[in-house]
Amino acid sequence: MHSSSGDTGRRRFLARVITAIHAAIAATLGVILGGTVLSPLFGKQEENWLPAGTLANLPEHDPLPVTLRVAREDGYNEIIERRSIFLVRSGESGVIAIDSTCTHLGCRVSWDVDEQLIKCPCHGGIYDRMGTVKSGPPPAPLARLTTKVEGDQILVQV
Amino acid sequence: MSRLTGIVDWLDSRTGIRTARKHLLDEPIPAGVGWWFVTGSVLILLLTVQLVTGIFLSMYYVPSPESAYDSVRYIMERVTFGRVLRGLHFFGASFIVIAAVIHMLRVVALGSYKKPREVTWITGVVLLLVILGFALSGYLLPWDQKAYWATTVSINIAKSGPMGKWVSGLMMGGTTLGSLTLLRWYTAHVFLLPGALISFVVAHLYLMRRHGISGALKPVAGEDKPFYPYHAFKDTVVCAAVFAVLITFAIVFRPPLDAVADPTDSTYVPRPEWYFLSLFQMLKYFPGPLEPVATMVIPGLVVGLLLLLPFLDSHPDRHPFTRPLVTGGFAIIGTAICVLTYLGYKDTPAHADPSRWTPMAIAGHEFSRDERCVTCHTQGGVANPISNIKMTHGPEWLIAHARDPQVIAPGTRTPPEGAFSESAGRSIVSYMAKVRTGAAYPSISNEARTASLVIGRYCASCHMIEGEGGMAGPDLTHEGAKHDAKWLKEWIADPSTVDPAANMPPFGDRLSADELTQLSSYLASRK
Repeated sequence: MHSSSGDTGRRRFLARVITAIHAAIAATLGVILGGTVLSPLFGKQEENWLPAGTLANLPEHDPLPVTLRVAREDGYNEIIERRSIFLVRSGESGVIAIDSTCTHLGCRVSWDVDEQLIKCPCHGGIYDRMGTVKSGPPPAPLARLTTKVEGDQILVQV
Repeated sequence: MSRLTGIVDWLDSRTGIRTARKHLLDEPIPAGVGWWFVTGSVLILLLTVQLVTGIFLSMYYVPSPESAYDSVRYIMERVTFGRVLRGLHFFGASFIVIAAVIHMLRVVALGSYKKPREVTWITGVVLLLVILGFALSGYLLPWDQKAYWATTVSINIAKSGPMGKWVSGLMMGGTTLGSLTLLRWYTAHVFLLPGALISFVVAHLYLMRRHGISGALKPVAGEDKPFYPYHAFKDTVVCAAVFAVLITFAIVFRPPLDAVADPTDSTYVPRPEWYFLSLFQMLKYFPGPLEPVATMVIPGLVVGLLLLLPFLDSHPDRHPFTRPLVTGGFAIIGTAICVLTYLGYKDTPAHADPSRWTPMAIAGHEFSRDERCVTCHTQGGVANPISNIKMTHGPEWLIAHARDPQVIAPGTRTPPEGAFSESAGRSIVSYMAKVRTGAAYPSISNEARTASLVIGRYCASCHMIEGEGGMAGPDLTHEGAKHDAKWLKEWIADPSTVDPAANMPPFGDRLSADELTQLSSYLASRK
């Protein structure tokens, strides 16, 4: 039906053009669709400074548990999220803010007044008052949040 | 290379993949099959694009009245390439309607529906109806004003037909257009119709292969050639051109998104998408009891004639000029649809730009910064800042809440002393709706700001302006075309000095001299 070498060459050329065009259409769609799927990975969360307390009310030694209400973007939604942190006095007028999420598997840690340690109820992770791991499975110290002091007001970046 | 061949050999031995490929691509195409026979492939490409973009849109879309609009706006504004993705899906719908009509006209012109291809034709007509079903059901999903009101009209059309109450109830999932309606149209759009589409496309292609391509009107001398690569090349070139135009549309033009659906808005004039405009326009010529003629009888007759076409025109001659009844009939119906679409388009009122800041929205922006609001609605406060908040409650609840924040059910008690007026509450809702469209607050003159505040506080209780406000007094949108600033100032200060029979209360004692001057001047400038 089509055995001449000229015809074979034409067939090969047409087949290559078809493959190239299909590849171009698929690549264009692929870039757009890939962009939409990967989009949430590139999203940048807006960061805000929230008042978390005052220096006057901050205990001398114990971490002070504080619950912040953070308005956060959750996809198309705006939600108010509760975020628990500890405020700890550090030095003369310095304050550090420690996130209360255990770095092992994400459970909420709490301050044990008697033992003067921060403990995780899930798998026994133990941290000192500054969030450094003392024992147990946590692979890293508790995360710190950036703080600043304006007058007597302690502000935390969330 | 040899390893790859080995893998393909193994796959072929287990699945027969080479035989299937040969069967699919080596169909002998008779000589004389030209460029007109690419229309089906274009439709397959466009339907594939719709299917794929639809799947990816569904990763972000939420089918509920509270979230649908925000999720679509999120896709448009926050998702990488989201606007292009929605553009491909939105404009792709129109491209498919056009491609389907061109494909059908090609089949009619070349008499390809004739024996033995009657069932192929019928599956094609069903596919056209499925495509229109997609267009109709997809229209509601963004839950904006256009979607809501066009769907209201569609459902009311269904109501006017036989067993209308049941049909419309089935379409709405109850007696009102709301959550259940949206969910059911979503289900139809993403599950039922795709199922029907895929089934009928497979049946259509199977029948096309079973009977072979109809080919040229008269046999052309020359040997058959395999579909791939000879005809596939023509298909691919045209598909690439159509895809290039579609992607250009998706990149250059922003797919429309009106303001969020407001069932209480009585001023919105609904219009369907262009491919349903002819049906919409036809309604005007069959008023009252004749309405079912336009909504049921004529469309039903057209669909019936299409389905029966191969049986009504069973003579084997395929040339269009030897079939004057069919060719003429299609020309008349086609012309009628084009004329009705044009008349409908000409009659479409210009919609207000949803991102335009109305005086009430400007007033609402100012009112929402009042201490009564920001005490709670603040970053880190008990509620989100008003500029971030979604309207998960209806406008009436929001107005009641703006006036009396402690109220749980609107209307249960009189708002306390010093509360916002009803029109001020309505202004805040207008502001929230504007924020929801993503429109940035504009730079406005001091006069427009002062006037907007007075309008939001007092005037909008009775007067409408730019489609918002009360309906007890005249519309103020083009007040400047009727009266000048001097007249307006006298009238607003004390209407009885201009017309003793005036029933509008005086505002001279409630407005400062500056407010009165600026409001009069602002209204006079609205020609």
